[in-house]
Amino acid sequence: MYICATMSNSKLYKGSLNTIILKLLNENDKMYGYEITQKVKELTKGELKITEGALYPALHKLEAQGLLDVEVAKVDNRLRKYYKLTENGTKETANKLEELAEYIKTMQALVNPKLA
Amino acid sequence: MKLTESQIQDLYAFTRKHFVEHYDLQTELVDHLANDIETMWKTDTNLTFEEARDKAFKKFGIFGFMEAIEQKQKAMNKRYMRYFWNELKLWFRVPQIITTLGLFCVYYLSFSSLYTEFLSVGYYIIIAIWSIFKSVQLNRQFRRRKEKSDKKWMLEEMIYKQAGGTTLVFMSQVYNVFLISDRFSGNFTAILFFSIIFTLLTLINYISFQLIPNKAEALLNETYPEFSL
Repeated sequence: MYICATMSNSKLYKGSLNTIILKLLNENDKMYGYEITQKVKELTKGELKITEGALYPALHKLEAQGLLDVEVAKVDNRLRKYYKLTENGTKETANKLEELAEYIKTMQALVNPKLA
Repeated sequence: MKLTESQIQDLYAFTRKHFVEHYDLQTELVDHLANDIETMWKTDTNLTFEEARDKAFKKFGIFGFMEAIEQKQKAMNKRYMRYFWNELKLWFRVPQIITTLGLFCVYYLSFSSLYTEFLSVGYYIIIAIWSIFKSVQLNRQFRRRKEKSDKKWMLEEMIYKQAGGTTLVFMSQVYNVFLISDRFSGNFTAILFFSIIFTLLTLINYISFQLIPNKAEALLNETYPEFSL
C-alpha cells in the first residue's frame, strides 16, 4: 500500500505520492526521508501517513528519473541523505500540480456541480 | 535522547541481516530507523533500543526493506545505463566515429571475403578470450576494493560485475557466427547485419569492460556524495 489514511480512503490518495513528495521538496529546498513522512503527518494532522515501505521506492524512482538530486551530510553520529529538486524536477512539479488541480476540478464538477 | 555510535553500528548490522547488502541504501535506512527511534524515545523513555528498533522496522510493512532494495536496484540500473549510453554515443561522433567506421569496414570486408569462416571464428575467439580475461580481472579488482573498505556500493558492483553480462550476449551469438559462411555468403543484407552487430558488440564490450571501470572513481563520486566522506 502506498499511503495509509486514517479512514478507508487510502485508495483515493494512491497515485498522488510522487506529487506530494515533489510539492514538499518544492517548498522546502531539501528534505530527508524521515522528515518527509513527518511533514505529511503534520500538514494533514495525522490524516495521511506515507508508509516507509512506499516512500523510499518512490524517492529512488524519482531520483532515477532525474527529477531529484541528492546531498549527504554528517548529522550527529550518522550520515543523512537529503533530496532536492533538479531543474527538471521543478518543471515536473508544476506539471503534476496542474494535473492534480485539473483532476480536483473534474471531480468537483461530478460530485458538486453547483461549486464547479 | 540520541543514539550512540555503537547503536548506529548495530542498525547497520540490522539492515545487513535484513538483506540490505549495499552501503548506500544501508546508510539511508539507518538514518531513518535512528530518527524514528529517537522520536519514539521522546514520548516513551522506557522503550529499550531493541524494542524501538523493531517497532520502527515494522512500519516498513511485511516485506521489510525488500521493496526499497528492488526499487533502488532498478534506479541504479537506469543510472548505469545512462552512463553507458553517454559513452556509446561518443563513438558515433567525431573523432571516435572514424574508429567505429574503421571497425565496421574491417568486419564487412572480412565477412565478404573468401576467408569468412576462418576470420569470423577468429574474431569471435579473440573477443571472447578478452572478455573472459577482463571479467576475471574486474571481479578480482572488485573483491580487493571490498576487502579494503569493507563497504559495497550498488553502482560499484554493477560497474565491476555487470560487465560480464555483455559477454553472455556476445557468447549467445556463437551459432550465428558459424552460419555466416554457410548460409549468408554473398548475401549483402546478412553481411551488413553481421558487420553492424559485431561492431556494436565490440563497442559494448570495450565500454563496459574498459572505459566504465576506468572511470569508476569519478562515477561513484558523482553518484554518491558520501563516497569520499
